[in-house]
Amino acid sequence: MANSNLPRRIIKETQRLLSEPAPGISASPSEDNMRYFNVMILGPTQSPYEGGVFKLELFLPEEYPMAAPKVRFLTKIYHPNIDKLGRICLDILKDKWSPALQIRTVLLSIQALLSAPNPDDPLSDNIAKHWKTNEAEAVETAKEWTRLYASGA
Amino acid sequence: MATKVTADLIETVRTVVGADFSDMDIIRALHMANNDPTAAINIIFDTPSFSSPAVGRTTPRKTSAPPPVTNSASHANKTPTPKFIERSDSNRRHGPSEGEPSSADWWLIESARVAGLSTCKGRRIKAGDAVSFTFPRSVSPPKSGKFPGRGRSMAAGSCSEIVRFSTIDFGEIGRIPNEWARCLSPLVKERKVRVEGCCVSAPDVLGIMDTVLLSISVYINGSMFHKHHRTSLKMAHQPTEGSLVHPLLNLFRLLGLTPFKKAELTPEDLYTRKRPLDPKDSPGFHPVTLPLEKCRKLSDDGSKVGDEGEAISDSDMDRIVGVADNSELEEMEPPTILQCVLRPYQKQALYWMTELEKGGCSDGAATTIHPCWSAYQLKDKRGLVVYLNVFSGNATTEFPSTLEMARGGILADSMGLGKTIMTIALLLSHPGKGGSVACPLSESSNGSSEDCSISDQPSPDLKRTTSISGFDKLMKSKKLLIGGGSLIVCPMTLLGQWKAEIETHVQSGSLSIYVHYGQSRPKDAKLFAQNDVVITTYGVLASEYSAENTEESGGLYSVHWFRIVLDEAHTIKSAKSQISIAAAALTAERRWCLTGTPIQNNVEDIYSLLRFMRVEPWSNFGLWNKLIQKPFEEGNERALKLIQSILRPIMLRRTKSSTDKEGKPILVLPPADVQVVYFELSAAEKDFYEALFKRSKVKFDQFVEQGRVLHNYASILELLLRLRQCCDHPFLVMSRGDTQEFSDLNKLAKRFLKGGQDADSNDVPSPAYIQEVVDDIRKGEKGECPICLEAFEDAVLTPCAHRLCRECLLASWRNATSGVCPVCRKTINRQDLITAPTESRFQIDVEKNWVESSKVSMLLHELELLRSSGSKSIVFSQWTAFLDLMQIPLHRCNFTFLRLDGTLNQQQRERVINQFTEDSNISVLLMSLKAGGVGINLTAASNAFLMDPWWNPAVEEQAVMRIHRIGQTKSVTIKRFIVKGTVEERMEAVQARKQRMISGALTDQEVRSARIEELKMLFT
Repeated sequence: MANSNLPRRIIKETQRLLSEPAPGISASPSEDNMRYFNVMILGPTQSPYEGGVFKLELFLPEEYPMAAPKVRFLTKIYHPNIDKLGRICLDILKDKWSPALQIRTVLLSIQALLSAPNPDDPLSDNIAKHWKTNEAEAVETAKEWTRLYASGA
Repeated sequence: MATKVTADLIETVRTVVGADFSDMDIIRALHMANNDPTAAINIIFDTPSFSSPAVGRTTPRKTSAPPPVTNSASHANKTPTPKFIERSDSNRRHGPSEGEPSSADWWLIESARVAGLSTCKGRRIKAGDAVSFTFPRSVSPPKSGKFPGRGRSMAAGSCSEIVRFSTIDFGEIGRIPNEWARCLSPLVKERKVRVEGCCVSAPDVLGIMDTVLLSISVYINGSMFHKHHRTSLKMAHQPTEGSLVHPLLNLFRLLGLTPFKKAELTPEDLYTRKRPLDPKDSPGFHPVTLPLEKCRKLSDDGSKVGDEGEAISDSDMDRIVGVADNSELEEMEPPTILQCVLRPYQKQALYWMTELEKGGCSDGAATTIHPCWSAYQLKDKRGLVVYLNVFSGNATTEFPSTLEMARGGILADSMGLGKTIMTIALLLSHPGKGGSVACPLSESSNGSSEDCSISDQPSPDLKRTTSISGFDKLMKSKKLLIGGGSLIVCPMTLLGQWKAEIETHVQSGSLSIYVHYGQSRPKDAKLFAQNDVVITTYGVLASEYSAENTEESGGLYSVHWFRIVLDEAHTIKSAKSQISIAAAALTAERRWCLTGTPIQNNVEDIYSLLRFMRVEPWSNFGLWNKLIQKPFEEGNERALKLIQSILRPIMLRRTKSSTDKEGKPILVLPPADVQVVYFELSAAEKDFYEALFKRSKVKFDQFVEQGRVLHNYASILELLLRLRQCCDHPFLVMSRGDTQEFSDLNKLAKRFLKGGQDADSNDVPSPAYIQEVVDDIRKGEKGECPICLEAFEDAVLTPCAHRLCRECLLASWRNATSGVCPVCRKTINRQDLITAPTESRFQIDVEKNWVESSKVSMLLHELELLRSSGSKSIVFSQWTAFLDLMQIPLHRCNFTFLRLDGTLNQQQRERVINQFTEDSNISVLLMSLKAGGVGINLTAASNAFLMDPWWNPAVEEQAVMRIHRIGQTKSVTIKRFIVKGTVEERMEAVQARKQRMISGALTDQEVRSARIEELKMLFT
């Protein structure tokens, strides 16, 4: 079984995520693969994503924690740093990964990213452009998408 | 003037012709050559019979001149009669010392005739003409002469010491003999003496080298007797190589002034054997120590200086200091307030100490001149007696009585004979207060020394001097000292024991004790004075001494002690150390050294004790070095005899094997069974050891190959240390390497902050954060590694003050030497990582992974055998880490134990010792070899286990003697554990082979002097 040689660090992280979840974030491992996590992040208040519930998937590669976890939005989201496949442009998931980071810190970072979109370092050029040229309209679109795709159930 | 350049020309010529020609020869040649040095050299070399040194100097040139007075002649002329002295007061002319002190300050020492040699031709001088003297401007001692590198520097130096004389009418006439010049020049220069002279007779017309007979009168400046001068004089003329006799003494001798009371002990006495050509009559070799008649007698009649060595490590010392057979000493009953029964040999010691403290006091010592001083009657009409110290050249008008001599001695009984109790008996027999005693020492210099002057001498009316020692400081701070009782100085470990011993053995209330120790100790001298006994430590003494330099504080130095006792006196053995100087600077009447090992490494150790005790003249290091130290080191038997004869009267040394009158041992202790337990390592340990050994040997061989063994002492000792520890327990080797350096957490914090200063400000961890980290570590906060999320394992600290497991951190890096900090992404180098200090010094959790090493099993086995008997054991190791380890199995096997190491403060130590002594449940005391080395009395234990051999067997021996000493009632077993086939066994071999050298050389402090050969032996 995959679980049998699961590193102690992953077990420990999982236990802590379950016992003391971070506010607005839930993450639970898949039953058949302990390295695969189903994640839900609540849209931060005072952001275009407020009220939305965003689903993500998170996978811990074999090298973890020496390599960053792989994270992707499953819920459609209108955000300059997230593309339509749900891939996230976040430095700590790439070159700025550090083994001192954890699942929790990664998810908190993503939550923060929702609060503070960064159109200067875009993953989705169109959305970024939209954000830069007419932020109010872009925010409206984001709210709309949240309502459409991330509202409950 | 042509003659002016002569001195330089002489030197020029001398560089070519060498020292075989006297100054006069060269002057002659120069004269013949019209001061052309080249021509002069040719003359000297071309004229085979030009001169032979001896003839040249004394050949009379004109028959009409009076026979030249040679040096020896003037010397022989010891009793000048008045008719010789043509003192024409009207003609009196002052020497070149300009400052004209009132004539009252100048005292005529004596007048004498001097045969001057003319250096001019054609000038005239007639009888009665006053002459004035010209002294060289700078008197440089030969050592620092113009040609320091040259073999003839002495000769060259003498050129600059020429003293010329001249008349008003003709200017320079000639020069006075070198012998006179040498002793007059420095004294005149320092305004100590003044010279006047006039011509007695001379040829009508002078030619070069004619003899001009002068009468000279030398006056000594009264201010010289002031103490300041006495010191400065001494400072300026510390006896150096070749000039052991002070110029002033020489001057007195040349003047033909004979002491009416001659010093009994002179440098010549000490010197005659070496220099039989010394002009003085050799008085034969007589004992060179101060004549403490009584004491000498007692030790002389039965003294067979010991060749019978006892314990091996003692034998060398016994050879040097001798084990006197003092069985004939009288016994003295201690006062009844001493509440214990002294053994006969202890009563003998009491008698001996009492006698020594009396000094010459009883039989008119106050009226007997100190043997190092000579008394002279000056020729001055006013009549004055001057006393000269024949060793230091100090002059005084105060009568130096034998009271200035050392009173006290060295009680050097070997360990365990009860030096403490003997001393307490002395304290009780002769209590007293400094300054209030009938015959005070010169140091106290109160009025009573006036009574000391002998009636048949004119009463000295000049200022008196106060100290015989060269300690400036004492002189300066000389103020009214408060009279104190007895001061006991001991190592910190013994503080409690002294107090306890006094309290238990002395009837309560009869002796008041004050322990002067601790940060907040009062500095009030009155407090000292109120108590009969003050106990303090060497540390306190040293710190009060240095405090004394800066501020005018009270403390130990504001007291004139009645008696000082230095316990474990070898503590002051290195003469240059602060503590040694501090001890010697104390003011006291009676001085005692207690030590079982008066010599630990070197005969120099003795010097320091003699200086403390004011055993003259040996507190003069120059003298000591020249006559004892150096010859001894060169293996000169005479030096050995000299040491023995110095020590014999002032030292009492018995060993456990000493016998009493009936030939019975003086002390019957229960037998001590010393065993060496040899055993093998287990297979696994052996593998580990072999691996470590191979690695170490490779490194060592590298050093040998590079010839850098001596440069890598620290590394080599570290290698050896690891091997030695491995023999105890492999875990010790796995203890963290560099933790030690940063074990002090404050240092750690400092290092962070310091490192932070040169880095970019935004990368720097804030001081507050660092403080937090350091506090966490200090509190032993467990914390977890941010990478593995486990408790730290072998944690390291990054320069940015983040803590991680070493493995985790290194695994996160792409390359092995550097990477970013996982926490803050700062780039760091591997060598910047700091091993974080933790509670446990071991890389692994020793408790969880506990495995007994062979040695520990051995110990447990032994302890198990003893368990039922109820006898207590002491386990010594030199590594506290090993003590840490041993606690684990002792716990597990249900042994109740205590621990004593260097981390405990004084109270804690006392508590541990008391508890161990009293609590019958406690069966084991773990003790670090160093902490338990001295003084501590642990006779409650009857077994000692030495877990690891120490370089210096004397240290081991001292430790073992903690249990095998007076008060021990059971038979004693001592077991030393040695692992076969390892460095331990070879250490034993090295110890045995060169016991003496090793004991001196390989104590950790003195590694430098050890020999490569021994090290090689260890790595075979």
